[in-house]
Amino acid sequence: MNNYEHTIIVKQDKFENQSKQIITKYENLININSGKVLKTEDWGLRSLSRIIKNNKRGLYFHIKFEGTGETIEELEKAENIDEMLIRFLTIKVKEHDLKKEYFDKKEY
Amino acid sequence: MKRKKNFKKNTKSNKNKKFNLFQRADLKFSKICPLSGKDAPEIDYKNIKLLKKYLSESGRILPSRVTSVSLKKQKELARSIKRARLLALI
Repeated sequence: MNNYEHTIIVKQDKFENQSKQIITKYENLININSGKVLKTEDWGLRSLSRIIKNNKRGLYFHIKFEGTGETIEELEKAENIDEMLIRFLTIKVKEHDLKKEYFDKKEY
Repeated sequence: MKRKKNFKKNTKSNKNKKFNLFQRADLKFSKICPLSGKDAPEIDYKNIKLLKKYLSESGRILPSRVTSVSLKKQKELARSIKRARLLALI
């Protein structure tokens, strides 16, 4: 089992109400595919540093989980099709730092 | 003897000089690597405050010869800056 960090940017305008459904959907996807979610962080609404796909702002979500390479394959397969997302990023980490949080939930 | 004294004075005044175009006047970088050592801050793509210190005003990565970051840490810095750029944090 490896440790991974995963961040998602969700489109703001249409999907703000649905944002909680979106995270739970991906958390379930991880848990089904032989993974285990340790922590989820909500960074709130942040303005992007530049315009991406005609979006100026986005909702940020950060998931820390354990899993194998197959879980990430399944996750990214689902995210590539998803229209609600602007971008996502997975990063392999040696150890999880569950205490430290760099972002407070503030609206910019 | 006079020559030696003059030479010493000159070196002192040179310390406060800007030696690069990209360096800001109010930020003086130390000669020792600020990111290695016991109490050094952790380089991470989420730690935007730290990453912004090592960017120029136009958003380019500062060279290590200006900031005196060690080679190993400079590679880590560049990697984490590029990750933060991808997430549009910087």
